[in-house]
Amino acid sequence: MSAIFPSEEWLKGLEEKLNSDEHYAEIAKNWEGDLFFNIEPEGNLKEPLTFYLDLWHGKCRKVDYNPAASAYPNTAFKLSATYNNITAVLTGKLNPMTAMMTMKLKVNGSMAYMMRNVPTVLDFVRVAQEVTKEIV
Amino acid sequence: MLPILKINLADNTSEEFIIPKEWERDFLGGASLAARILYPHLTEKLDPLSPESPLLFLNGPLAGTNGPTTGRFVICGKGPATNLWAESNIGGFWGPELRKAGYDGLWITGKASSPVYVWIEDGRFEVRSAAHVWGKDVYEAQEIVKAEVGVKSARVVVIGQAGEHGVLYSAICCDHGRMAGRTGMGAVMGSKNLKAVAVHGVQKIEVTEEYAKLRSEANRTLKQDNEAKVMHELGSAGVANYAEYLGAMPAKYYHQGGFAGVDNISGAKMAESILVGKSACQGCVIACGRVVDIGDGKKRKGPEYETVVGFGANLLIDNLVEVVRLGELCDKYGLDSISTSNTIGLAFHLFEMGEITLQDTGGLNLEWGSFTAARQLIHMIARREGIGDIMARGSRQFGAAFGAEDEAVQVNGLEVAYHDPRGVSGMALSYATSPRGACHNQSDYFFVDFGHTYDEIGIDYYERQAHAEKAANVAKHQDWRTHFNSVLICIFANVSPQTQVDLLNAHLGLKWTIADLMKSGERAWNLKRAINNRMGLNAYNDKLPKALLEPLKEGGAEGYSPDIEGMLFAYYQARDWDLETGKPTREKLLELGLGEMAKDLWGENNLKPVKG
Repeated sequence: MSAIFPSEEWLKGLEEKLNSDEHYAEIAKNWEGDLFFNIEPEGNLKEPLTFYLDLWHGKCRKVDYNPAASAYPNTAFKLSATYNNITAVLTGKLNPMTAMMTMKLKVNGSMAYMMRNVPTVLDFVRVAQEVTKEIV
Repeated sequence: MLPILKINLADNTSEEFIIPKEWERDFLGGASLAARILYPHLTEKLDPLSPESPLLFLNGPLAGTNGPTTGRFVICGKGPATNLWAESNIGGFWGPELRKAGYDGLWITGKASSPVYVWIEDGRFEVRSAAHVWGKDVYEAQEIVKAEVGVKSARVVVIGQAGEHGVLYSAICCDHGRMAGRTGMGAVMGSKNLKAVAVHGVQKIEVTEEYAKLRSEANRTLKQDNEAKVMHELGSAGVANYAEYLGAMPAKYYHQGGFAGVDNISGAKMAESILVGKSACQGCVIACGRVVDIGDGKKRKGPEYETVVGFGANLLIDNLVEVVRLGELCDKYGLDSISTSNTIGLAFHLFEMGEITLQDTGGLNLEWGSFTAARQLIHMIARREGIGDIMARGSRQFGAAFGAEDEAVQVNGLEVAYHDPRGVSGMALSYATSPRGACHNQSDYFFVDFGHTYDEIGIDYYERQAHAEKAANVAKHQDWRTHFNSVLICIFANVSPQTQVDLLNAHLGLKWTIADLMKSGERAWNLKRAINNRMGLNAYNDKLPKALLEPLKEGGAEGYSPDIEGMLFAYYQARDWDLETGKPTREKLLELGLGEMAKDLWGENNLKPVKG
């Protein structure tokens, strides 16, 4: 299930894990909102990279690897970070709350929803860390 | 900095106090500079409510320059409930208006023979009778004074009935509910028979081209900041859900881990139900202030985090509209909502324990969740009626009056704010060592325990329930926030150290580095400590109340209590403070250029040359 980040296989692995992880299913049971990630080139990443996840009631309904920036205009949350910062989060070197509070991870979307659901967000990160076998 | 207008209300004489340049260099402005100015005047024998007691309103160096959240001012003196150094900073528009009138500070001494207000306009002042304003709430009083001075754009600081009646945790208000709540400066103002100070000025506040450019960039960056977005959209109560999840939000007077009703009172709930607008202080791009409509079509101030928790989870009230009403009642009376709700929480707690009875309360049933009882107690405190007269002296004295001082959740006479050190352990040191009692604004370390680090100044992340290993980190964070309290930048503004250095250098013509900035913070922290040492504070005072050392049985902080002894030992070492006396060592004071304080605390012997 775990895979090399970044890759389409990794995103599929994340989808699979989100749909099978009991803890995530419980903690995210009320979550309704899709995410659009924009990874800025840095280090080993030479071109911008995007991925999309549609998260709904503790499940992942859809993923899309490297869609066009305009592909999902009404996404609930748009998140952006440099490659080194996103990989630091995935390897546990950077606390996800630290990333958000220090603007290493920029967030656009309903802050009311985000602040009410911080435990869900943190558990999503846990799942993403668990499917990350290696970083390019 | 511009001169300070010094007025003696006993005879209405005045003088201009010119701030020595070397003090500005060492302390910048705000609370740090105020500490330097007031150092000779704050003695152990000084009664904070006596005519001799000083009350100093002071700006920061960037007041009115539209820098990122730099429009605040601070009010300092000796705290009537703590008998220690007191400072309370406040937003609104009054500070910048004072600068436009030609002053950066107002220093009040003496006591008027009857209620007065002061009117300052463009370098002139007048003391007027306030007999007809005495007894009015903070909003009515502002309107009456503004109408009388005949200048609509005048700005007014004012006390309510609580300050008039000497409630020891009275606040000073300006504009629509901006409060200098902590440390009872409203009581000091009331003790001088001073109801209000109205200010108007037309002088232009000049800035350099370089500063203007940096200011624009800093404000643009701040507007995009994640934390600023939370504050803008949800107000400070936006963190309520997360704080509750971590066990960092106290409930049932710090005796219950978690509060199931948090969703009903959080900033998110407010934003989705009763919020109809936002308000901002001078030059602020965040606008954390809430404007709400609770169903009567009237726009009113909505509560911030401390009020939401103080009158919500703390009393087990999960009705947001009632929390709004209780917060508004405190504001109108000019009461600090933290100390008021904390002291009411103690009353509920003692009632449950059977330490106080219906006979003591005048028949008032202090049941958890009762907002009617809370409302009645606020009236009684502000008017000093019945049990409210004892509660008006603060939780320490209130507890002591019923043989239960240990039950009061306070440090050195200041009630603990609503960030539980069992959920975010850095707050244990923040509360125990703060120069003004259990304060969260001298170091809001809970944000660091949430994850907010500062790479540029080496403030790192430690586990939120770590112990002594984070002591040096807390000290560094206190120095950082002391810098904020000098410049009077709002602690909600995530403005980087380098940006702050650049802004100061551009406006003041300095050549500071980040190291200079941090050293200035450390210097002022130690100066305030020296002031308190001279007024009798020692190592014994650095402690936590009993409740915060008892592990909770449930919630995000279940089973944990901070090792305060171990943390303090490591903290003293990090600070270079003497373990026996609690004083900064002579060497530390000399290193910081505080030779006068070294001499006062340690005597003349072996004095080394003073730096600079």
